[in-house]
Amino acid sequence: MAGVGYTKVSEHWDRSLTELAAEAALAAVRDAGVERVDAIYFANAAAEITSHQMGISAIVSEELGLSGVPSVRVECGEASGMAALFQAHAAVSSGLAEVALVVGAEKLSDLMPEEFNTVFSMTLPYETMGFAGVTPTAIAALLYRVYMERYEVPQEFVAQFPALMHRNAKGVPHAQFPFEVKLEDVLSSPPVAPPLRRLECTAPCDGAAAVVLVSEESVGGARSGTVTKLAGVSLRTDYASPFDREDPLHLSSVALSVEEALLRSGIDRDELDVLELHDSFSIMAPLVLESAGFSPKGRSGLELKEGRFELGGELPINTFGGLKARGHPFGASALYQVAELHLQLTGRAGKNQLDRAKSGMAVSTTGFGALSGAAVLIGGDSA
Amino acid sequence: MRPGIRPQEHWRSKRFRYMLEVLRCANCGTVNATRRSVCRRCRSTSLVRERLPERARLLAFTEVKSATDVHDEMAPYLVGLLEFEDGTRIVAQLTDADYEELRPGMEMEMVVRKIAQDGESGVIVYGFKFRPVVS
Repeated sequence: MAGVGYTKVSEHWDRSLTELAAEAALAAVRDAGVERVDAIYFANAAAEITSHQMGISAIVSEELGLSGVPSVRVECGEASGMAALFQAHAAVSSGLAEVALVVGAEKLSDLMPEEFNTVFSMTLPYETMGFAGVTPTAIAALLYRVYMERYEVPQEFVAQFPALMHRNAKGVPHAQFPFEVKLEDVLSSPPVAPPLRRLECTAPCDGAAAVVLVSEESVGGARSGTVTKLAGVSLRTDYASPFDREDPLHLSSVALSVEEALLRSGIDRDELDVLELHDSFSIMAPLVLESAGFSPKGRSGLELKEGRFELGGELPINTFGGLKARGHPFGASALYQVAELHLQLTGRAGKNQLDRAKSGMAVSTTGFGALSGAAVLIGGDSA
Repeated sequence: MRPGIRPQEHWRSKRFRYMLEVLRCANCGTVNATRRSVCRRCRSTSLVRERLPERARLLAFTEVKSATDVHDEMAPYLVGLLEFEDGTRIVAQLTDADYEELRPGMEMEMVVRKIAQDGESGVIVYGFKFRPVVS
């Protein structure tokens, strides 16, 4: 990974979907210092609805001044960015492309609140859930109840995850909500689907993030210290309804993709110095941590309380605020995750810089584990 | 652009939505809730139509305060996780009860009710909801 770029996550009333994509993509290309791009992968979930556009990958290439270059749009809901990275990694690994640009963008702030709910609900199976008005907030709430009951943990064990995200996002220029939110504020925010509260959810936003992948042969040794190695990417699927799975609290697509990404990278889970995980709702953070084997079942809240996941802890998570506080522009979210890992591993994370980060992982998912992916980045001399 | 209700889609799905008709795999017993060619678990093609029982146990519930375009008029509404005797679980709207009256473990029964309406002159969707069994 030779370069990254991103916009601030915000409500960009004055910018279009493709403008945002171009800003992030051009920044990534400049950062990488590459002369050409062989393939473009555009990650986006909802362009048809938010921007009246199909075949949008050609428009992205045009706005980048790269018409003529193959350009493909990848849609895998909230995990579109990880799926696009998976495709780009395959293209570069196979020799199909020497330089691949992966850019994710989403424009959700143009939607009215009910329209946003409609779009977000499309990440659930429509024929059995969406038609009945079952929303992602409802699914998150039901998983939350099952979790608290099974592991006998109080709500604050789950609700403190958003508070951690906001601590990390404080003062981060590209974060949607760069300020602190205390656990008490989370617990006293209005219920959206009890026990789930407003400040345990992400908010509609716009944003774009991009990374440039370059083949190992062409990167050479010239830019050591500014590149990271995308050592392993994996993508897995599962039944669309969490309640059709053997254990709704075990996201097997997360477990399998994390395991496989580690295997492909040749590193162990305990060797990871930083983790960017998918916290679209507060409850998703413990479910991801526990499904992926980073915490024992039901214990991640306790481990957070003990400081394990803080910036100075043993395994820092979501170092720029994660989906909750940096923001969750669906198609772009996973690319923010990997771009932020890249910043950490190349010593460019500013005030959030970790001391000794040599390897990191991003975990993205959609539909509460219907499709998940994981990517391992390695920095320093090993890159 | 607002994706509304497609009458054809609802018509195709009516046996599930009105009668809880599913496809049970004759090989492994897995319930497949929608029309499909192979069992999602074992890929057997021996799928047999069956109606789920009209009673189920409430495992967990919530109240949706803010909903999609075609459901928002009905909000707030109750949504529950239900389990049938054979272990099959579904998520459905709950009705004929207040949030405060619901308890995990309650026995619930299926009824057919209005689910959504696509604007003033649009399609009305009916489908299953669950209500507490009155004994």
